[in-house]
Amino acid sequence: MPVSTIVKTVVTFAILVLLHYTLRPLLGWRAPIDFLLLSVLATAVRTRPAGGALLGFVVGIIADSLNPEAFGAGALGMSVVGYMASWLKAVFFADSLPLNALFFFLGKWIFDIIYFVAEQRLSSIELVYQIALWSPLSAAATAISGVLVLLILRPFLEPTAS
Amino acid sequence: MARIGPANIRIDRITLAVCAFLSLIALVLPLPVREPIAAALRRTILAPMVKLQEKAELSRRAFLDHDGMMRIRDSVALEVINTGTLRDENARLREILGLGSKLKWGFIPAEALHGRGVRDESAIILSAGSNSGVERLSPVIAPEGLVGVVDDVDPTMSHAMLWTHQEFRVSAMSEDGTAYGIVQASASNEGGRFLMEMRGVPFRTSVENGTLIITSGLGGVFPRGIPLGRIISETKTSESWARTYLIRPEVFPADVYSVMILKPDRASEGVGAVWAVGSGADTTIKNIVTAGDSLAREAALAEARARQAVRDSVIRDSILKAAPFDSATVTQPVPSVPRPAPAVPRPTQQAPNSAPGSTQTPNQVPGSTPTSTPAPARVPATTPQTPRQPRTTQPQSDTPAVRN
Repeated sequence: MPVSTIVKTVVTFAILVLLHYTLRPLLGWRAPIDFLLLSVLATAVRTRPAGGALLGFVVGIIADSLNPEAFGAGALGMSVVGYMASWLKAVFFADSLPLNALFFFLGKWIFDIIYFVAEQRLSSIELVYQIALWSPLSAAATAISGVLVLLILRPFLEPTAS
Repeated sequence: MARIGPANIRIDRITLAVCAFLSLIALVLPLPVREPIAAALRRTILAPMVKLQEKAELSRRAFLDHDGMMRIRDSVALEVINTGTLRDENARLREILGLGSKLKWGFIPAEALHGRGVRDESAIILSAGSNSGVERLSPVIAPEGLVGVVDDVDPTMSHAMLWTHQEFRVSAMSEDGTAYGIVQASASNEGGRFLMEMRGVPFRTSVENGTLIITSGLGGVFPRGIPLGRIISETKTSESWARTYLIRPEVFPADVYSVMILKPDRASEGVGAVWAVGSGADTTIKNIVTAGDSLAREAALAEARARQAVRDSVIRDSILKAAPFDSATVTQPVPSVPRPAPAVPRPTQQAPNSAPGSTQTPNQVPGSTPTSTPAPARVPATTPQTPRQPRTTQPQSDTPAVRN
């Protein structure tokens, strides 16, 4: 992987992480945008599945430190999603924005399912309510934000001709 | 893109499995073990992010609270404004109350309704009419002085011509009665529309600046003694045989909201010393009491009771001291020949009638030091009429007769 691509990937990752800790609390939505997941997805597609899984695990375990009750749940979800994103990199970042949006949506929804099931904090009704209602809403918001980020950063992320 | 071989795929799967395994391990770790690890991550890698998140949440809270805070601030500002208005209105109503208690009878309280129209500078509507006893040409007064005169009466309201009206005239005089003239709204450019001028003052009469001008009572509409304003300066006019003075009015029409309408019988009776400037504690206490402040009234009454108690005590002492001397004097035969007049006049009979607040009473010996002990008002009446040697050092003879 060229150095420029690595730098661009790192910059994109840092921007998305910053957005996660600044814009997300500022918006304060009930179905929040998961910029952290977007950062993992955006980085994982540029690495091998092992790298994606490892990155997901690290980001997840760090994010879980804010919620020790669910320590490890986010790491598990991020690892799986990072691995899958990297495995499906051929589909990911295609020219089709709806496909990218669907991919972001599925990535966030799968992550939420893994996270809330592994967390074991919610009761059955609340879990169904969360997974069937709030998680899709959050996934939709994340997908829309991911598409916007792609549109904004596309000129920056395009590989340079060398 | 590099070709992915079976070995790499195996490595990827093993990595995923390891990550998943570690995650599950983290999930099942007991809380005492999880907490230190999480705390270490929070305090190191995540610390800057947590600070960013904290600031973002504070910003959001401030943004959300902004509207509420603005509403609270506006409410407080409105309360403050209303408080000032209420305070002013309260003071104004107390002044009106004080004026009413001084007038005692023959007046009709009314609200002055400003129309904010073109003629508002020279006329107002009053909230009392003929049903309340208002008649045409009734004087309209405020605690500060003359406001105007009623020129039209309806059953429930009346129309008053303010002194600022160009046709308004009132016969006036200086407070000491040395100068007479006609007061009207100033027509000169020098004075402007909100000053008065006193015309027709005889040329031989000079009025000093600051002199209070009051109604003279001549003409039969306005009773004598209502303040109009104070002399500012003399103005030059074409009338060389008379002087014209510029007057700063006591009442500014824009500030008038509550007024008193004098009934004709009260106007013809006169307002007496309603606006007379009193001095001493008596006037002050009366002003406070009539102002309607209950606390001040309580304090004033307590002070008055204390003064009365002291006075009674002094009276008793004086009577007890005077009794042996008087009885001895009465038993002595009255000489047939007139006794020589005392060296110092003994005007003790005039003491109760002396003006309150005067610095030296008629019975005070020149050169003697006045004391603060209140003297009994009726002591001279209880003393024998037979002349005797004046006791110039007695404290009651050096003080004002009546203080309360």
